[in-house]
Amino acid sequence: MPGSLAKSLEKKLKSIVGETGVILDRDRLLAYESDGLTAYRSLPMAVVFPRDTIEVSKVLGLLSKEDIPVVPRGAGTGLSGGALADDRSVMVATSLMNRILTIDSDNRIALVQPGVINADLTEAVSPFGLYYPPDPSSQSACTLGGNVAENSGGPHCLKYGVTSRYVIGITVVTYDGTISRFGGFGRELGGYDIVGLFVGSEGCFGIATEIEVCLLPKPEGAQTLLAIFDRLEDAGKAVTTIIADGLLPAALEIIDGPTIKAVEESIYAGGYPTDAEAALVIEFDGIKAGLSADIERTTVHCREANARDISTAESEKEREVLWQGRKKAFGAMGRIAPDLLVQDATVPRSTLPDVLRRISEIGQSYKLVVANVFHAGDGNLHPNILFDRSDPDEVERVELASKEIMAVCVEAGGTITGEHGVGLDKLSYMSLVHSREELEAMQVVKRVFDPKGNMNPGKVIPDLSEDFS
Amino acid sequence: MNSIAEFLANKLSKRQVVDGSHTEGWAVCNRFPHAVVSPDNETQVAQILSLASAEGWVCVPSGKGTWLKGGHPPKAVDVVINMANMDHVSAYEPDDLFITTETGLGLDILSRYALDRGQWLPFDPPGVKGGSIGATISTASAGSLQAGFGRPRDHILGVTLATGDGRLLRLGGKVVKNVAGFDLLKLAIGSWGTLGVLTSVTVRLHPAPVLDRTLLFQGTDVSSAARLANAISRSRASFAAVEMITSGEQEDKGIYSLPFVAVRILEPLPVAEEITRIICEQVHATPFMCLEGKDSQLIFDDIQTMENNAEMVLRLSLLPSKLSNLVERTKELRELVDPNVDRGIRMAAHASTGVLRIMIARLNRRKGWLEMLASSLSNLRYLLESEGGSMVISQGPPEIVEIVGARGKLGSVTELMRGLQKEFDPSSILAPERIIG
Repeated sequence: MPGSLAKSLEKKLKSIVGETGVILDRDRLLAYESDGLTAYRSLPMAVVFPRDTIEVSKVLGLLSKEDIPVVPRGAGTGLSGGALADDRSVMVATSLMNRILTIDSDNRIALVQPGVINADLTEAVSPFGLYYPPDPSSQSACTLGGNVAENSGGPHCLKYGVTSRYVIGITVVTYDGTISRFGGFGRELGGYDIVGLFVGSEGCFGIATEIEVCLLPKPEGAQTLLAIFDRLEDAGKAVTTIIADGLLPAALEIIDGPTIKAVEESIYAGGYPTDAEAALVIEFDGIKAGLSADIERTTVHCREANARDISTAESEKEREVLWQGRKKAFGAMGRIAPDLLVQDATVPRSTLPDVLRRISEIGQSYKLVVANVFHAGDGNLHPNILFDRSDPDEVERVELASKEIMAVCVEAGGTITGEHGVGLDKLSYMSLVHSREELEAMQVVKRVFDPKGNMNPGKVIPDLSEDFS
Repeated sequence: MNSIAEFLANKLSKRQVVDGSHTEGWAVCNRFPHAVVSPDNETQVAQILSLASAEGWVCVPSGKGTWLKGGHPPKAVDVVINMANMDHVSAYEPDDLFITTETGLGLDILSRYALDRGQWLPFDPPGVKGGSIGATISTASAGSLQAGFGRPRDHILGVTLATGDGRLLRLGGKVVKNVAGFDLLKLAIGSWGTLGVLTSVTVRLHPAPVLDRTLLFQGTDVSSAARLANAISRSRASFAAVEMITSGEQEDKGIYSLPFVAVRILEPLPVAEEITRIICEQVHATPFMCLEGKDSQLIFDDIQTMENNAEMVLRLSLLPSKLSNLVERTKELRELVDPNVDRGIRMAAHASTGVLRIMIARLNRRKGWLEMLASSLSNLRYLLESEGGSMVISQGPPEIVEIVGARGKLGSVTELMRGLQKEFDPSSILAPERIIG
C-alpha cells in the first residue's frame, strides 16, 4: 500500500540492518524530504541504512521482491532533485557506509565505501603526500558515492578532471540484489567500460557499495591571483585568452557583482570591492619553479582584458582569503533572497562573454536577480536565480527565465548540466540536447541494469511517451 | 562481384565497394571479408549497417587497418567498413581547445594539424603512428603518455555512433563537462566496434609542450630497472611518461643491451630542471643520458612502434608496485621465442599503470608449439588473475588467440555486457565476440 511499509517487510529490513537502521516515523523522515535543491520535496516511505555490500544486497533483494522502488542517497547535497523519493519508495542511505577500507599509498589508490565524505578521504591520505582531486563546493559534506552518482566536478577540475577520471573500480549492487565488480587498478579486462558508464548514472543503475579511486601527489606549491573587473564580459574575455594562450590553471573561477555583494555583506567577506562587476580567482599549482611565470602571463591577459585591480596571495592565509568569496558564495546568497535556483549549464569557453551578456539581459527582462558564480575555465556556468517561493508571480518568471537561459546555453553549443546532474530538475531540458533516439538508447541501457525500472525511477530520462520535440 | 559486394555497390556506388582479390589486406584475424565498403559520410555508414542488419552480414569497421589483426578473432566477417574516405575536419576551435573530425583521419595528420596551431593531442597508442583517430578511440589504445595525460576516454568530448541497426547517436558534446544523461560516450570508447561504428569525434586538445626532455636511467638487470621505474613513478615530480625498456636478452647490442628507464618531461625549462632534480634526488640515481627535442621524441616514437612487425604482443598487468615480480613471471616466455631472430623478445612497461608489453618477433614453431604456447599463456593468465592482474593477447596468430582468448573471462558480468551489446546491435552483426568473448 502506498505510503506505509508493511509490518512484515519492516521486520525483515530490521533483521538485515538492525532496529535503528530503518526510519519510518514522519518527523524523522522530514530530514530526507529533499536534497540540496529544496524546490522539490516529498517524503519517502522509509529510509534504510545498510552498512556494507552484503546488507545492501539483502535490502535491495528484499525490496525488489516486493516491487518497491529504491532511491539511493549519500549526504543529500545534490542540486538536481536526484535523491528525492516519493511515498511509494524506500530510500537507501549510505551514510553508515563511511569506512575507508584500504589506502595503498605505493600504488596511489584507495578503496572506500560510498558514504565516505569527499574531504575526509583527502585528509586520510594526506600523511602519504596524496590527495583526491575532485573537489565539489560541498566537499566537506558530500559523499564519494554521491560524487560517483553525479560525476561531480569542482573548481580544480579544470586541470585535474572530474570524478570519472579517478574512479577505477566499483562494486555495484543492482535492484535485484546482484553484486557485481567492475574495473580495478592493475588489470586490463575485456568488455565495456562499465565503470565509466556507471559514474554519473545518478543512482538509476544500482548502488555503488565499494569504490576504488586513484589519488595524486599533492602539488608542491600553489599561487593564487585575484583580478577585479568593472565589466563581467571582460572577465569572460580574460578567461578565453588565458586558456587560448596555453595556460592551464588548476582553477579559474568567476564571481559576479551580485554574488560579491552577497559575500561581502556576510560573515564570509573576503575583501572583494562591492562596486566591481566581476572577480576572477585564478590558481596555478604544481612545481614551484613554474608558478611565477604562469602568474605573470596571466596577469598580462587580465590587464589586456581591462582588469582594474590584480592581487596575488603571498601566503596560505592570503590564499584562503582570496578563495573565501568563491567558496562561500552559495551560503551567502541566502542573505539576498529566501530561495535560489542554481543552474549548471556548460558552454564553450569562447562563448562566455556573449552568453553572460545574454543571461544578464534575461534576468533584467524578467526583473530577476541573477547572480553568477562559476567554473569559468570549464565554461561551467552557475547562474543563480534568486527568488521568493511564496510569490507565485515571481516563481513563474523564474521558470520562464530559467528556460531561456538554458536555451541560450544550448544554442551556444553547450549543454544543460555540467556537474549537478539531471535528476528531476532538468528532465524537461533533456530534449534540448538529445534526440528521442538518444534518450531511448539511455532508457534501454538503464533497462539492462534495472529491468523493472525501479532504481531511482523518474530521474534523468523524461517520459518518452510525451511529445517533446 | 559477389552478391554482397554487388548489393552494396547498387545501394552506394561501384567506386565504394571492392571484393575478391581486392580485399586481401583487409582480413580480420585471417578472416577474409566478402566485401570492403568505403562510405563517404555518416548517412552511408548508417545505411550500410541497416542493410547488414537486415541481411545478417557480419561487419567490422576499420580506420587504417592497423587493428585488424588485434582483438579476439570474429567467427566470420562479411563486410569490412573502411572509414578512409571519412577524414574531414568539420570544426576546429583553437580558443576552446577542441577539434571535431571524421574518424578515418590519421592520428599523424591530426597531430600535425593541431601542432601547426600550437596545440597538441596527447595520444600515442601502440602501433604505427598513422593509425586513425577512430581506431584509437574504438580500441581505447593508450600509450606512454597516459601517465601524465590520462587515457583517450579522458580527452574525448563527444562522438557520433552509427549503431548496428543504423541509428545515428550523438553522444557527449563539445564541452569539457557534461552530465546531461547517462554517459554512453564511455560505453562507446573501447567497444571495438561492437556497439556501432564511430563516424565523428570531438577531442580535447592541449597546449603544445614547449620542451620535450627524456632522461634515461640504466638498470643493471630487468628487476632493478623495474624497481627504478616504479620508484620514479611514485616520486612527487610530474612527468609525461615513465617506461622501462628491455630487450630481454643480455647479449643484445646498442642502447638496448641493458634494461633502461625512460622518463619524459614535457614542461617549460625551469620546471623540467626542477623535476629532473627531484627525480634524481628521490631515486638516488643519475641519468646516463638526457635528450631534448627530436631526440627525446625519437625514444618514445620507438617505444610507441615497438609492436610493429611482432608476431605476438602480450599485455600483462599487476599493480605498479609489483612490476619487478611481473617481469620475473615472463622468463618462461623466452622459450617460446624463435632463437634465430635478433631481438626475439622485447619488453616495455608503463611504470604508472603496471602494464608490461611483451613483443615476440617470431614464435618458435617447433613440434607441438601450439599446445605448448597455449599452455604457457593459459598458466600465465591464471597466475596473474589470481593476483588480481590480467593478461591480454593484443595481437597474435588467430589459432592461438582462439584457444586462449584475447582477454580473460568476464565471469558474472558477461550477461550484462551481452545485454548492452544487444541493445545497440540487435542483430549481432558487429562481431561481439571480439570483445565479449
